[in-house]
Amino acid sequence: MVLNPQNEELRELTVAREREDTTFEAGAAIAQTSLWRDAARRFAHNRAALIALFAFVLMVLYVVIVPFVMPYDPNAVDFSISYVNPTWAHPFGTDEFGRDLFLRTALGGRISIGIGFAGTVAIMVVGILYGAIAGFVGGWLDNAMMRFLDALYGLPYLPFAIITLAIFGTVNFWTMVVALTVASWFTTARVMRGQIISLKENDYVRAARAVGARWYRVLFRHLLPNTLGVVIVFVFLELPGVVLGEAFLSFLGLGINPPNASWGSLAQDGYTQYLSHPYIIVIPSVAIAWLILSAFFIADGLRDALDPRTQAAA
Amino acid sequence: MLKFVVRRVLWTIPIILLVIFMTFWMMRAIKGSPFRRTERAVPAAVMANLDRKFGLDKPWYVQYGKYVKDVATFDLGPSLVLRNQNVNDIVKQHFPVSAELGGFAMLLAIVVGVPLGILSALRANRVTDYIAMLFANLGFAIPSFLVATLLIYEFAAQLRWFPTNGWDTASSKVLPVIALSLGPLTYFARIVRGQMLETLQQDYVRTAKAKGLRWKRVVVVHVLRNSLIPAVTAAGPLLGFLVTGSFIIENIFSIPGIGRYYVTSVSGRDYSTVMGITVLLSILIIVANMIVDILYGFLDPRTRDART
Amino acid sequence: MRKPRFAWPLGLVAVLFIALVAAGCGGGGSSGSGNNNATTTGGNANASGGTIRIAIGSEPPSLDPGLATDTTSAFVVLNTNVPIVYLGPAPDLKPEPALAQSWDTSGNTVTLHLRKDVKWTNGQPVTADDVVYSWLRTISPQLGADYAYQFYGIKGAQEYNSCKPSAANKQCDALKSKVGITAPDKYTVKVDLTSPQPWFLQQLSHTSFIPVNKSAVEKWGNKWTEPGHYVTDGPFKLTQWQHDASLTLVKNPDYYDASTVKLQTVKLNIITDGSTAEQAFNAGNVDVNETGWPPSDTARIKNTPAYQQFPSLGIYYYGFNVKTITDVNQRKAMALAIDRKTIVDHITQTGQVPATAFTPKGIPGAATINSESTFLKPTADMTLAKQYMSKVSNPVKNVTLIFNNAPGHKEIATAIQAQWKQLGLNVTLKQQDWPQFLKFLGPPPDPSVGAFRMGWIADFPDDINFLSIFQCGSGNNYTNWCNKQYDDLLKKATAEQDQAKRYDLYKQAEAMLTSKSGDMPIAPIYWYTFAYQVAQNVHGWNTNPMDEIDLRKVSIG
Repeated sequence: MVLNPQNEELRELTVAREREDTTFEAGAAIAQTSLWRDAARRFAHNRAALIALFAFVLMVLYVVIVPFVMPYDPNAVDFSISYVNPTWAHPFGTDEFGRDLFLRTALGGRISIGIGFAGTVAIMVVGILYGAIAGFVGGWLDNAMMRFLDALYGLPYLPFAIITLAIFGTVNFWTMVVALTVASWFTTARVMRGQIISLKENDYVRAARAVGARWYRVLFRHLLPNTLGVVIVFVFLELPGVVLGEAFLSFLGLGINPPNASWGSLAQDGYTQYLSHPYIIVIPSVAIAWLILSAFFIADGLRDALDPRTQAAA
Repeated sequence: MLKFVVRRVLWTIPIILLVIFMTFWMMRAIKGSPFRRTERAVPAAVMANLDRKFGLDKPWYVQYGKYVKDVATFDLGPSLVLRNQNVNDIVKQHFPVSAELGGFAMLLAIVVGVPLGILSALRANRVTDYIAMLFANLGFAIPSFLVATLLIYEFAAQLRWFPTNGWDTASSKVLPVIALSLGPLTYFARIVRGQMLETLQQDYVRTAKAKGLRWKRVVVVHVLRNSLIPAVTAAGPLLGFLVTGSFIIENIFSIPGIGRYYVTSVSGRDYSTVMGITVLLSILIIVANMIVDILYGFLDPRTRDART
Repeated sequence: MRKPRFAWPLGLVAVLFIALVAAGCGGGGSSGSGNNNATTTGGNANASGGTIRIAIGSEPPSLDPGLATDTTSAFVVLNTNVPIVYLGPAPDLKPEPALAQSWDTSGNTVTLHLRKDVKWTNGQPVTADDVVYSWLRTISPQLGADYAYQFYGIKGAQEYNSCKPSAANKQCDALKSKVGITAPDKYTVKVDLTSPQPWFLQQLSHTSFIPVNKSAVEKWGNKWTEPGHYVTDGPFKLTQWQHDASLTLVKNPDYYDASTVKLQTVKLNIITDGSTAEQAFNAGNVDVNETGWPPSDTARIKNTPAYQQFPSLGIYYYGFNVKTITDVNQRKAMALAIDRKTIVDHITQTGQVPATAFTPKGIPGAATINSESTFLKPTADMTLAKQYMSKVSNPVKNVTLIFNNAPGHKEIATAIQAQWKQLGLNVTLKQQDWPQFLKFLGPPPDPSVGAFRMGWIADFPDDINFLSIFQCGSGNNYTNWCNKQYDDLLKKATAEQDQAKRYDLYKQAEAMLTSKSGDMPIAPIYWYTFAYQVAQNVHGWNTNPMDEIDLRKVSIG
């Protein structure tokens, strides 16, 4: 996404998992269970990851519950209560239209987190498809597809996302997801190809095929369980980039249509008012930072938990 | 080896054609004309004159063919919006600014991020690690527009240590570089930490430790050596982002960089500028990737076949 | 192992770090020489010797008078060149001698007598031939000038501009020779118009009529506007242009009226972001903030002595697509339901005037023209609005409102959405980037569009410039509204030399738009103002109602 540190990390993770997998080669099902149980135990011992998980759940609860319990209309305009400083009635204060920011930040969170997860999933699907085709077919097609990625890899995502949004002509939840996917699938595809190739060449996959296992058995029994950990880590590593991407686009005035607002568009509103009413930009920015930080630490914790060797360093 | 290099060079040609074509197609797929900039209507005759002047009245394949021919002769054509400038001028004037901004930001990110990564890897899962990583992750987590805003407010408007905007004196460059460096800082810290943790598990490190070598020496001789290089070389493509991805920073600080042109040209439908910058960047990135791969090929013959 | 690969990155990092620290230190040093004396009202002790620093909102897209279309370009063009006429003070805005020191009009012909002492910066005199060359150049289909249509009132101009220069190039040349612009002698220009057009002399104040230097244009091609190439004849000349960063103008000693020009140097700093521009002004980095600032800061800025506000000939309005919102009563209800005063007081805040009619308050004759349009009020009349709404047999409940994503529009749309909601309308807001927005506007507008945001600032101070927007087939008429009777009124006005009679025709036309009996294809919202932050030591800062800033009158210190 924006910077994609995630994908580089994921590449390492892939390599690490690959090595480790060979030790669980026989009796995959039993080994998997203990692997996951071990992972959960290790995760529970990681204080940073636990705090992050707690923070993440808290944020999700806030976003889900608050719109049901707040007595205000999020879009009602009442200039007589504009720019109310934070009070008990309005914990985050109100904006220039007198709209409650505690409520609007929660609603914005639904949109931002929703776009974040939807975008991450879409990016993964596209990336896996592209990577899978390149990885499985191989040969000149693989070569061509990879050279093409080379050209896109590192191009700034913003112009492409803007072009995509402009082609749609309107900005809503789904066009935003598509735009962010178009702008950032290529790095993921690259990683996924590596993943596919390494999985394809794995000893236990070869072994399973050698003994005549059907492809679906190979897929569900061996490939998926072994990739699941990577996928979960990936979701939390990619999420921050997508959330930030949405925030940047909204900040440029390309966000979803008002009066709805994501954290990015709330921040944009706040930016034009920060000299007079600084809290309006700080609140959504802190929400974004909160989400991204917790996602990063959860991802780190998960990765360490799924890779027993790094844990030994502690 | 020669065959490897020749093959890579030949591959770039169809890929660049494809990139041009994609950008070309995407820009044309957007509604709107580059020639309507104010709310004043432009009569059909004038629109026709403009289309004719910039060759937009021709069929798309003629336009594409001409464009490819121009690119081959290093002519990116006239800007459709800035009527007294060619895309070549725009690139020449504004690309160096973005490169300087991005380069300094990258440096600062490395200088701060790498030690943070090392520190937290050596103290993995202890309080030091948590604090270092919290700090490092914050760089990415706090949106750069907030950072830029706060920096201007505090250090330019209140304390007046630095100018609020521009890119001329050395002091005017401090705040934007800091604001832009925070994202990549996270990147380096995380990558280095991850690499280090992995290297620390390698057999030769354990062996060295078991042999009774001083820990400091082990870290410097073995761990750092094998962790930092992959981390730093993996940052190549980041430069592409930094050079043009700094749009928001350039905008807030009013820096005459190419990133701003890139984004405003999309919303202005300045086809030739968008394509020109895209093509230029793609070529840069392809060449950079190629050089890295060729170097790898020299240094580590095993990768030659795998990476073709 | 791989020893050599170890050393270089660290070495590189070390070297670069040192470089960075050095740069940082250098920065620290030079920032000390800054603006510590400045107060938050923006006065700056360092601005000496008639140098003024102005924050402008964008890179001028073109300094070619024929190609400039935006106010930033016009600002630079106007202060580096001499227009045909200047405009006198408001409210009359009468033409005053500039390049043309006098003129005669008879019927459809205007004769301009040029000053003989105006010189280009390359030493050549400015002559009638320059004017003829420049105007024909702007009209020519080859240049592709947006503002070629400013010349359409001149006989043969539209035909020449519309010809296709290809193999049939000779036909274009023939059309060129038929354009009614001639130079009977070295300092006289004769213009044949298609109709009397009493406003033509005021229109000549527009930047698109400013002559260009033929030798510079021919020598440098489209690069002729760069410093060093840019041959001009005005009070200032362009000495430096760092694209997207700054422009420097210095006083032109050969300007015919140079003794009245007080400033020595004008430094234009391009600061696109309003917040940054405001901060730059507050920190004393610029003397005038022309870029603007976020509206929510207005309340605070208004209380500083730096705040200066000027009236404008401009209107911000919402248009209706009359083919979507077909019932005039619904349009009237929607226009009545808009609380203009709240929008002006709480959102825009820079002293805009709630617009109760389309014709701006400051236009010559506005008092007469708007006298019948008393239907709309500054505040919302919800009772009356609901009455009108109840008369609508088939109301359009779901209305799509489109606007472009420039700052400020979203806020107004949000407020109006809430106000229309009280009529029981479900308004969907659609924010679009500029070219897309225009594509949806047409004309004709996209069928999905119910209402849209628009604005207009006068090209020249005559109401025809506003009212002609809503003629049938006008490229600026995005409403689908077309009324023969309205067009006839305007056509009569084009030929009407008598001012009072013309104003009366305008009054009837205006009434067809916004009066009680009108068709209400648009809902006026407010009449613009221009507001700036100007430091205390800057004197004579001015803007005419067309947003033209004249630096001849400005001084500093």
